[in-house]
Amino acid sequence: MMTVPLDYYIILSAFLFAIGAIGVVVSRNLIVMFMAVEIMLNAANLALIAFSRFLKLMDGHVFVFLVMTVAAAEAAVGLAIVIAVFRARESVNADSLNLMKW
Amino acid sequence: MTYSFPILSFIVFTPLLGMIVVMLLNRERVTAIRWMSAVFAFITMIFTLIVLKDYDSSTASMQFMESFNWIPSINASYLLGVDGISVPMLLLTSLLSLVAIVISFNITNRVKEYFAFFLLLECGMLGVFVALDFFLFYVFWEVMLVPMYFLIGIWGGPRREYAAIKFFLYTLFGSIFMLVAILVMYFTSDPHTLSMIELIKTAPTFSRGVQIFAFAFFFIAFAIKVPVWPFHTWLPDAHVEAPTAISIILAGVLLKMGTYGMLRVSWAMLPQGLHYFAVPIAILGLIGIIYGALVSMAQKDLKKLVAYSSVSHMGYCMVALAAYGSVTAIAGCMFQLVSHGLITGAMFLLVGVLYDRAHTREIAAFGGLANKLPVFTGIFTLFGMASLGLPGMSGFISEFMVFVGSFKAYPIIVGLAVLGVVLTAAYILRMIQKIFLGEFDIAKWGGLTEINLREILCVSPLAILTIFIGVYPKPLADLMRATLENLVVLMAR
Amino acid sequence: MVNLTPLLPELFLFCWALVVLASDLFSKRRSASLPGYLSLAGLVITGFLLIPAHDAYLWGGMFVSDPFAVFFKIIFLGAAFMAIGSSFGLAGRMTHHRGEYFTLILFSTVGMMFLASAKELITLYVGLELTTIPLYVLAAYTKSSRASTEAGLKYMIIGAVSSAVLLYGLSIIYGLTGTTFLQQITINLSIYWLSYGELGPAFSIALMAILAGLAFKLALVPFHMWAPDVYEGSPTPVTAFLSVGSKAAGLAAIVRIFVGAFIAFATPVMAPRDWGSTLAVLAAITMIVGNIVAIRQTNIKRMLAYSSIAQAGYIMVGVVAASNLGVSAISFYVFSYMFANMGAFAIVAIIAERTGSEQIADLAGFSKSSPVLAGLMAIFILSLAGIPPLAGFLAKYYVFAAAVQAGYTWLVVLALLTSVIAYYYYANVIRMMYLSADPNPHHIVPSFPAGLVLALAGIGVILFGLMPEPILKLAIAAASSFVF
Repeated sequence: MMTVPLDYYIILSAFLFAIGAIGVVVSRNLIVMFMAVEIMLNAANLALIAFSRFLKLMDGHVFVFLVMTVAAAEAAVGLAIVIAVFRARESVNADSLNLMKW
Repeated sequence: MTYSFPILSFIVFTPLLGMIVVMLLNRERVTAIRWMSAVFAFITMIFTLIVLKDYDSSTASMQFMESFNWIPSINASYLLGVDGISVPMLLLTSLLSLVAIVISFNITNRVKEYFAFFLLLECGMLGVFVALDFFLFYVFWEVMLVPMYFLIGIWGGPRREYAAIKFFLYTLFGSIFMLVAILVMYFTSDPHTLSMIELIKTAPTFSRGVQIFAFAFFFIAFAIKVPVWPFHTWLPDAHVEAPTAISIILAGVLLKMGTYGMLRVSWAMLPQGLHYFAVPIAILGLIGIIYGALVSMAQKDLKKLVAYSSVSHMGYCMVALAAYGSVTAIAGCMFQLVSHGLITGAMFLLVGVLYDRAHTREIAAFGGLANKLPVFTGIFTLFGMASLGLPGMSGFISEFMVFVGSFKAYPIIVGLAVLGVVLTAAYILRMIQKIFLGEFDIAKWGGLTEINLREILCVSPLAILTIFIGVYPKPLADLMRATLENLVVLMAR
Repeated sequence: MVNLTPLLPELFLFCWALVVLASDLFSKRRSASLPGYLSLAGLVITGFLLIPAHDAYLWGGMFVSDPFAVFFKIIFLGAAFMAIGSSFGLAGRMTHHRGEYFTLILFSTVGMMFLASAKELITLYVGLELTTIPLYVLAAYTKSSRASTEAGLKYMIIGAVSSAVLLYGLSIIYGLTGTTFLQQITINLSIYWLSYGELGPAFSIALMAILAGLAFKLALVPFHMWAPDVYEGSPTPVTAFLSVGSKAAGLAAIVRIFVGAFIAFATPVMAPRDWGSTLAVLAAITMIVGNIVAIRQTNIKRMLAYSSIAQAGYIMVGVVAASNLGVSAISFYVFSYMFANMGAFAIVAIIAERTGSEQIADLAGFSKSSPVLAGLMAIFILSLAGIPPLAGFLAKYYVFAAAVQAGYTWLVVLALLTSVIAYYYYANVIRMMYLSADPNPHHIVPSFPAGLVLALAGIGVILFGLMPEPILKLAIAAASSFVF
């Protein structure tokens, strides 16, 4: 059976990470920004899994599980804060966060 | 010499104790606060007199040593001791502090804070002159600045906030160079030590590059305090805006710290650096003498005139220090420190006395005051004469020694420096003439009152000492001789 | 059965946090006293539990309780203690979720303690997240305040991005070395280096990603933009906790990773695969920008935010030294910084609660209306500025000594020059309180817990400036946790 070489995974993960990073910087919608952060985290997850598989070690898998858990917690807290912000200003546009200068 | 009683610690921390006592007093009890401060300053002075009595002037070694392993982890120890250059400074500091406290009895605004800060300041000043460990030295050096900031900033003249922050930042700017130099010395010495006594022995073996680097950094720190031209720009602002007592302390003690630091630290420890920079230092000193005198001449404000005369007078010290091979020159520098402390301290005091009554310091506004204030005129003229170096006064002795001592090393510079004496005579005499002689404006100054007893009491010890040193300088010279002879040997290494 | 003794302080504090959460059910409607005092007691007990737990490890070395970890845990507990102590006023005005407020601070503290003990990447990452996620909530805690929710959201987004960047760096390190244990990473890297003589650009990318991720947490310039806004918008005790606790936690992570695992790559000799010179540049611009921008701030919280950015720069000077002296110096630095900064923020909180103002200008005449508070504030500010004989001076001296020893004299000169700038804005606060002749109408008396915090901070700043030897011994022991 033909296997996909490690490089491909790493390149894909680098692309995903870049997409996520650009998404955070470019997007003005808070929800989209959160999704972009998730993409960044998952890019790292992909790299971890690929390395783990390539090195025939289990640590990477464990790492990924914990990262997923942490990401879920982060998303829960993040969305709660977004709701609080939305209640205060009726907007999920990042530009409306202008009470203090960035 | 071992001394069972930790007298130097008592000297340094009596004012601190005084500060605590003052802070515990009710702020309404103004008289109690004033007298309590004076009592603590007086006790401190008694202690310094005991040190003077028991000081053995036949040896150059440190005396009344106290040692305590303070922070072993960074090799910082609580190391105190005095020798022939710190004893006169201690006496001068404790005397001027007492005088300044008594002259401050007329402070009415926030009295408690004023005296608390003043006593903290005195603690820091005395500490600088007895600390023999670099870390401790630096701590005392900086501790002074905070109360000084408050004293100028709260009780000063119209531009007090500007003057206070300028003084604060300027001196802190200087001390960062000292800190770097201290760290470099610490890590260059082997074994690592912060003890000045050890470093005086071992630092001259450092490589030439390190010595020059450390010397330059120390020089910036001390030169700002002295102040050496062109580092003097904080001085006119601070001296003029400060309240009278603080002007006395600034001129009488703080300026001496720079010179003291040079002698104690960079001159004794880094002879290679000294040899490298000696000529530029002499030239800076000369510029200071001439520049200070010329600028004094142009002043319209009496206090500013006295302030700039300090720049000029400290220039003599720098010329003398540059002539490191001559005991006479170094002794002249020490004499100049003491006599400038007494004379300029008294001058600021008298300017303050006049300002309290007339509410102006503009020289042109006065005239003929000798008719109305004969006693004041007499005292002022006495110190004026001392300042311009009239024989029989301490100023003459010190300047003469400076010239004789450094002539061999720098004939041209000394020749030009003598010009400074002429200029000094010119601006002092002109000032005295304009204020005290000439026509008296009775409508304007008819209400002036004569100098009062408290003020006379304050100024008289300074006057007595000025004349005493001028007539009979031998005790002071004997006190310092052994130390200075040893110092000249150290500097020649 | 695993012997969990080394984990006892964390386990205890975690359970205690749940107790605090439950206690709120039984406390009176308009009083924060019960959960508050319970939290304080829990922190003190945890501190005692730290005493027996030293030089022990768990799970094959994932979790260690070495002197470095213990030292930083003391700092976290101290910061949490002072943050909670100054929160009573804030929590007293809350109608809902008072217990949660204290519980979240305790959870975050547990995360910090976990982080300080982590000698393995997974533990470290989880510890870091456990530290920050409660802090997101805390920053946004006053839900009705637009500034607070805005602060929370900004912190949240930046925090999430930075941990993603950090995670990406960690994943590359894992790929290069095949292990997540820091000690093994050092060994594998040196084997790799000896076999190939080069580590390739991947290693550089990983170093930079980890550095950037942690620099966000520490608010080093240019990763600092979030800090002033978040510090200004968050409730003041939370800001204090952020500026001390979370900064110390980020520092612990940096030291664990860079000094613990990548020490061989500290020197510029290893360029371009070194981190020392990069971090030196980061420290330099952090000190310059932090101090210069602080000058023009009018809001005292924002000013302290920039000052704490600059302080992080000074701390980095010690990390750059990457030596025994360096690590003990930064440990002592953070310790003294904790007292001064928590104290200053506590006073800001007390004043803002009474007057509703966070402007520096409104401190005018404060020394006359509340002399004791003003005196304490002056002491904290002077300690932050590094004036002897306060603890902050010794801390700076120690850090600079380490850097001079490591040959970074230029960095020390620069640091000292920027500290002259810092004197200016610190003196400005003192000028307002003491030099201004304007009368101040507020005579402020702090509540008992806030007074306790102030007394603790004041004693700490003075005592550890005059008699620092015991703490210096601990800090030196902390540095002995690393191999140089």
